[in-house]
Amino acid sequence: MENDSAFNEAELVIRAQGGERSAFSELVRIHARGVFNVVYRMCGNQLMAEDAAQETFLRAWQNLPSYRRQMPLRNWLYRIAFNAGMDMLRKERRVLPNDIEDLYLTDDRPGPELLVSQQECTTLVQKAVLSLPDASRAVLVLREYEGMSYQEIADALNIPIGTVMSRLNYARKLLKDQLEQKTFLPAEADYA
Amino acid sequence: MPEHVTEWLSVYFDGELHGHRLRQVEEHLAECEACRAELNTLQNLSGLLHEDPLPDFPSPERFATRVSLLLPRRPIAAPENKLFEIGWWLLPVGLLASWVFISTTTLTGDMVSAANQVGLLKNISGWIASGSNASVYWSNTLEQFGVLRGGSLNWAEIIEVFTRTALPQFMLHLSIAVVYLGWLATWWARHSHQMQSLILEG
Repeated sequence: MENDSAFNEAELVIRAQGGERSAFSELVRIHARGVFNVVYRMCGNQLMAEDAAQETFLRAWQNLPSYRRQMPLRNWLYRIAFNAGMDMLRKERRVLPNDIEDLYLTDDRPGPELLVSQQECTTLVQKAVLSLPDASRAVLVLREYEGMSYQEIADALNIPIGTVMSRLNYARKLLKDQLEQKTFLPAEADYA
Repeated sequence: MPEHVTEWLSVYFDGELHGHRLRQVEEHLAECEACRAELNTLQNLSGLLHEDPLPDFPSPERFATRVSLLLPRRPIAAPENKLFEIGWWLLPVGLLASWVFISTTTLTGDMVSAANQVGLLKNISGWIASGSNASVYWSNTLEQFGVLRGGSLNWAEIIEVFTRTALPQFMLHLSIAVVYLGWLATWWARHSHQMQSLILEG
């Protein structure tokens, strides 16, 4: 089944490379959600994400003849999506609220500070993700939200696997430190 | 207790650890509460990340239609890419053709020269015979000025004949061989990279 869809996709790519717009539209339909996911996690804003996703597919169309079919299309698209998201952020960098301090974060354990709603909790996690360095955030997004393997991430971002590991480690450590401080995650001090 | 395996927990959590290192981490986790807590934190962190849903983006169908309306008529880079591919495969063919042409010309020249020496070309026009004659110039000039004579003159003539006939041919063959081998090495590198990608993709 998976092989069938890969075969269909390969055929669509060949047709799209030949300039067939309907084949490309089908590819857009297949990969739209994944690309939305990546650019939204990178930008943290729905409108910017929509623009970045659109830009991703326009760039993909223009560069489709240079696409080598040995690389899965998804990885190639995510590389473009990452760059489009970064360009969009640079162009329209918004001041992201950095005031995690004044919010209390939830904890599974009972305690007096369980004051934030689910919405606030989600917002804080999103802010924490957006505060990560771009390179680490990209690796985290592809791993956590797209479930890509280290090899796929390495291919998509054109970096060695060792760098994928170290960036992911770093991103998680930063996130953990930020959220742990706010009792969002159980602290480990007891076990040290 | 052995050292903590904190640096490997993230990779372990992602299921990307194999072999000896995997066993090492598993054995350590079985007896280390601190590392188990760290692993639990990673799981919680992942859970938190997944609690953040995607907003309501346009449906893939609607979005695909919108993108389709914005597409330029044709992909831009197609002709250049095709030209590159054609040029890439024409290069070795051109090199081989040049090599065959040069070798044939040289062989024909040698045969004409040999025929001339044994007197088979007496009735053939002079320009063919003279074309294959390995004359010496600068060593003769040096002899006339008295700079060279005897054994030195003989060596100078041999060197002159060699540099005017065999050396250019040798360099030409060598250049073709180097360019061809360079192309082969590039082809091999590209090919093995493609094979590796296919293997990794399973």
